[in-house]
Amino acid sequence: MSSFLQSFLDPKKNWLAAMHMKSLTKRLRKYGLRYDDLYDPYYDLDIKEALNRLPREIVDARTQRLKRAIDLSMKHEYLPENLQQVQTPFRSYLQDMLALVKKENAEREALGALPLYQRTLP
Amino acid sequence: MAIRHLLSLARRSHKPSSSFTLVRSSSSRSNAEEFIKPPPPTATIYDRIAHSLKSKLQKLENPDIRFLKYGSPHPTQTPHTHILSRPETKITTLPNGLRVATESASNSRTATVGVWMDAGSRFESDETNGTAHFLERMIFKGTEKRRAKGPEEEIENMGGHLNAYTWREETAYYAKVMGKDVLKAVDILADVLQNSKFEERCISRERGVILRELQAGGHTEEDVFDHLHSTAFQYSPLGRNIHGTCDNIKTISNEHLHHYIQTHYTTPRMVLAASGAVKHEEIVEQAKKLFTKLSSDSTTATQLVAKEPASFTGSEVRIINDYVPLAKFAVAFEATSSTDPDSIALMVMREMLGSWNKNTGGGKHMGSKLVQRVSINGIAESMKAFSTNYKDTGLFGVYAVAKPDCLGDLSFAIMSEMTKLAYRVSEDDVIRARNQLKSSLMLHTDGTTPIAEDIGHQLLTYGRRIPFAELFTRIDAVDASTIKRVANRFLYDRDLAISAIGPIQDLPDYNWFRRRTYWNRY
Repeated sequence: MSSFLQSFLDPKKNWLAAMHMKSLTKRLRKYGLRYDDLYDPYYDLDIKEALNRLPREIVDARTQRLKRAIDLSMKHEYLPENLQQVQTPFRSYLQDMLALVKKENAEREALGALPLYQRTLP
Repeated sequence: MAIRHLLSLARRSHKPSSSFTLVRSSSSRSNAEEFIKPPPPTATIYDRIAHSLKSKLQKLENPDIRFLKYGSPHPTQTPHTHILSRPETKITTLPNGLRVATESASNSRTATVGVWMDAGSRFESDETNGTAHFLERMIFKGTEKRRAKGPEEEIENMGGHLNAYTWREETAYYAKVMGKDVLKAVDILADVLQNSKFEERCISRERGVILRELQAGGHTEEDVFDHLHSTAFQYSPLGRNIHGTCDNIKTISNEHLHHYIQTHYTTPRMVLAASGAVKHEEIVEQAKKLFTKLSSDSTTATQLVAKEPASFTGSEVRIINDYVPLAKFAVAFEATSSTDPDSIALMVMREMLGSWNKNTGGGKHMGSKLVQRVSINGIAESMKAFSTNYKDTGLFGVYAVAKPDCLGDLSFAIMSEMTKLAYRVSEDDVIRARNQLKSSLMLHTDGTTPIAEDIGHQLLTYGRRIPFAELFTRIDAVDASTIKRVANRFLYDRDLAISAIGPIQDLPDYNWFRRRTYWNRY
C-alpha cells in the first residue's frame, strides 16, 4: 500500500509530482532553503527530538540557511543568481532521523509505556 | 506500449530541467556549460556528515539480533532452578529452647554470628517504652568478666565488627569476624547478653546521648516512617516509637533493663544464627556451654501479640516546616502479617510500583508506570514503594521526597497507580516484577551478614528457613488475577495512613487521598 502511494507520488514516475517538485525547487532556491529546513520543531516534538540528535554542523547549517532566508524575506530580495544555481533544495538530512524517532516512539507506545514527551498547549 | 515508451523517453528528457535552470550565469566558470551543477554531497562539511549519518541510520534498519538475546523488552518466564542450589541451613534446637542455625559457605574465610530475638519496642508497655533501645545501647558497655568497652575492644582486636539493631519486633546483636574467631565471638555475645552490668554512670551518660539525639532529629526518612507507624497503629503497641519518649528515658534504671532481659530475652524466642566459615557442631557445643543463664520462659512472642493485638487506624500526621527544602511523605495501607501467603503478592506489587531516585540510570525507560510518570515529568526527587510485615499486621505503601510545588501531581500519580493495581494489571508487568523480586532477593543475600540476618529473621517469623526454590515457586504463583485480588483486598476503598514532613502546604488532604483509593469507572 505504501509503495503504491510512493509510486504515485514519485516525481520520477508521475508527471504531476515532478511539476510540484519543480515549483518547490524554484521557490526554495530563491530563498536558499532546503525542504528539510521547513520542518518546524515547535509544531511536532518529534522533529525537535530528531534535531537534537543530529550533529552540530548540520543543525548549524540549517540555522544559517534559515537566518539567510529570513534576512532576504525582510529585505524583499532573493538570493543572488550565482548562489541560486548551486542550491540543493532536496538534499535531505532530517528524514532518516525523523523516521527513526517516530519508529522509536511507536515501539514505546506498542510496549505500553508512557510517551517520553507530550504536546502541551502553551 | 509504444506510447508508454515515448512517454518515458519524454520524461527522461524532462529530468535535467527539473533540477537545474537553464539560465545563463555570468560566473566565470559557466561559459563552457549551459548550466551550473550544484556542489556534490562531499563539498561542504555538513553535507558530508549528513551523508555518513544516513549510512549509519541505514545500518539500524537491520539491528543485530544478538542484542535481543538477553535484553528483550518483553519479559520472559525463565526457569531459575540452576541457581537455586544453596547450602543447606542446619538447625538444632537446644534443650533450653534456643535455636542454633548455621549455613556454612566453604569458600568463605569470614563469618557472621549473631543472636536474633523476638523482642522489640512492641513488647514493652507504655511506661517502659524505650527500654529495648536503651538496652541495646547499654549492653556492650561492660560485663562482669570484661570491663567497660571490653566486649567492643575484644572484637576489634580480632579485626571484627560488632553491631546491633532494635526494631519493633526484632532485636539483633551480631558480630562479623574471621572464620577462626567465631567461637570467641559466640563467647563474647553470650557474655554480653547474660552477664551485663549496667553501671549507673554509664546509664546516665547514655541517657544524655539518647535525649540529645531525640531532640536533634526530625526530618529524615526514618522520622517519616516513625510518624507513619505512630499514626497508623495509634493506641496500639506497634505505634510506639522505638527510641521511647523523653520522660521514659529519664526514668529508665538498672532494674528496668534487667527486668526486660528476664522477660523478653528468653531462649525460645532467640535464634543464634551463623553463616560463612562456621561448623554447625562447634557452634552448637559452644551454645550449649554458654547460653545457660537466660530464662527459658516459654511464652512465645505470638502469645504476647495475641494479648495486645495491633490495630490500624486510618489517619494522618502532617508536620509543616517551611524551612527545609524538600517535602517527605509516606502513604500506607494496612497490609498483612508475614505468615500470610498474600505477603508474597504484596512483595510483587511493591516491585511493580518500583523505586526511583534521581541518581538511578533508567528512569524514563523503567518498567513501572509510576516510575515513568515520576521521572518523565520530574515530580519527585526520589520515591520508593515499601511493604513491611509484622506478626499480625503490616504496611504497604509509597514513600516519596519531592519539591513543594509538585506534590499535587505526585500524589495523583501515586494514588492512580496504586488503585490501578486493583483494576488493570498486565501479565508482562507481573512477570517483570516477579523477575525483579527474585533477583533482588538473591542479590541481597550476597554476604555472610545478610545471610545470617536472613536466617535469623526467617526462623523468627516463619519458624523455618524457606528454601529459595520454594520461595521462587511461591513468587511464580502470583499472576495478574492474584495481584488484582490482593489489591482488592488491601487497597480498594480502604482507609490509609499518611505521614508528611516539610513544606507540605500543597499536599492534598486526607479525603482527597481516600477518594482516590477507588475509581468510579466500574
